[in-house]
Amino acid sequence: MENVIECINLTHYYGKRKIYENLSFSVPKGRILGLLGKNGTGKTTTINLLSGYLQPRSGECRIFGQNVQTMDPALRKQIGLLVENHVQYQFMNIEQIEHFYARFYPGQWRKEAYYELMKKLKVAPGQRISRMSNGQRSQVALGLLLAQNPELLILDDFSVGLDPGYRRLFVEYLRDWAHSEGKTVFLTSHIIQDLERLVDDCIIMDYGSILMQCPLGHINEGFHRFHCQLPERLSDVPEQLLGEKQFYHPALSLTGELELYSFLEKDEVERRLQAMNLPHGPLMMDNLDLEDAFIGLTGKY
Amino acid sequence: MFYKEWIKTRWALLLILIVTCGYVGYELLNFLRAIGAMGGAHIWIAMIMKDEPMFVRHLQFIPLMAGVALACVQFFPEMYHKCLKLTLHLPCSHLRMMFEMLGFGLASLLVCFGLNYLILWLGMRPSLAPELYGKMLLVALPWYLAGLAAYLLSAWIILEGSWARRIFNLVVMFLCLKVFYLSSFPGAYVPFLPCLIVFVLACILLPWISIDRFKKGIE
Repeated sequence: MENVIECINLTHYYGKRKIYENLSFSVPKGRILGLLGKNGTGKTTTINLLSGYLQPRSGECRIFGQNVQTMDPALRKQIGLLVENHVQYQFMNIEQIEHFYARFYPGQWRKEAYYELMKKLKVAPGQRISRMSNGQRSQVALGLLLAQNPELLILDDFSVGLDPGYRRLFVEYLRDWAHSEGKTVFLTSHIIQDLERLVDDCIIMDYGSILMQCPLGHINEGFHRFHCQLPERLSDVPEQLLGEKQFYHPALSLTGELELYSFLEKDEVERRLQAMNLPHGPLMMDNLDLEDAFIGLTGKY
Repeated sequence: MFYKEWIKTRWALLLILIVTCGYVGYELLNFLRAIGAMGGAHIWIAMIMKDEPMFVRHLQFIPLMAGVALACVQFFPEMYHKCLKLTLHLPCSHLRMMFEMLGFGLASLLVCFGLNYLILWLGMRPSLAPELYGKMLLVALPWYLAGLAAYLLSAWIILEGSWARRIFNLVVMFLCLKVFYLSSFPGAYVPFLPCLIVFVLACILLPWISIDRFKKGIE
């Protein structure tokens, strides 16, 4: 499948602080890919590198096969960018900003898509964006992106400032739009439930590297939380558990319950616990939503 | 791009136009009052003998302030929450977008300053010999060029992302603008005017340095 985004061996530092080294990933055409990671793992840095507002120390980002640093300006017509905090020109009103952008995207601009969303805003057409609430500004920014109708959307924390109703509306609209028209979306969000409803694939970032890139179904169906009571009260997690690479973040609760996360089948987890000579009560397996899975993969700090 | 710049700056431009033309009008009223009180002949003699910029000297820093004010109104909103990213993401060459933004600002200032000159010329022409009002207009020319340079240098500073570099740029701006105010002796700048014009034109490239640094994420 053709890749719309390709990041190859990206290394970036802020001063002496390493953000990541030799990071590589790609986003195939027609997929919605969510970038998940704790604060400070480099999500916004990745968006900035992709949109060409940051130069990596080494490596390169390519969109539609072109290096973002030297990209043909006309290619930007096909890239919709939602900047962090949903920034838009504050000095314009709803009509002026639509009028301004429309001239840059002849033949692809969908005025009606924008005004359809704006109708739900309940603001006067002449009201300046600077006088709108954060949520309303976000809606204007998102409406403009949908009107641009690009082949690729890059959304940095798209759900910030949106109320639950509008978030749901936007997620459904975006998903239907992307799937029906074969658009590619690369996004980050702090609200993992939104990503769960929206994305086809996800990349989970840890400090300095990518922990995992896979279809969402792989995590939903294959990743589980296992827990069991240990007969004797342990002060620390046994070393052999910590050394097992297939067990993610084993931890002991205050009541002495062992908790761990894994992609392994229940029987296999049981077998490995027995092989470690770790006496334990009945092993329970829980299905996880994406947020729990994310915590299971990255840990609770 | 002109549409965006117009929406952003139209009220500020109106204010700049009113203030600069108001100041010019005020200087002109002083001039006409002096003519009425002392007579035209006395003023002519005073202007020839004194060899100093009578009646326009209060205009000295007005174009400079107009240039700085316009740059602030035009470029601070671009840097607010890094809005410049939106501008740079438009499907046009970055260089062209920068020139269009600066071109709009320079054209606006030129219209404003041109009106100032027109008012001065129309007001002084009936009472003074062409040599005398020509001399006054020439005295004010470096100050108006300073206004254009101040606009471009302010844009260079505002578009810069790093505070340390902004302070450095501010010092450079101060030193550069001092060149325009070395003397107010009538005719002192005449041989130097082409150099000042070339300097102003060269300043157009400075904001590109800031934009280039912004694109590299230097803060």
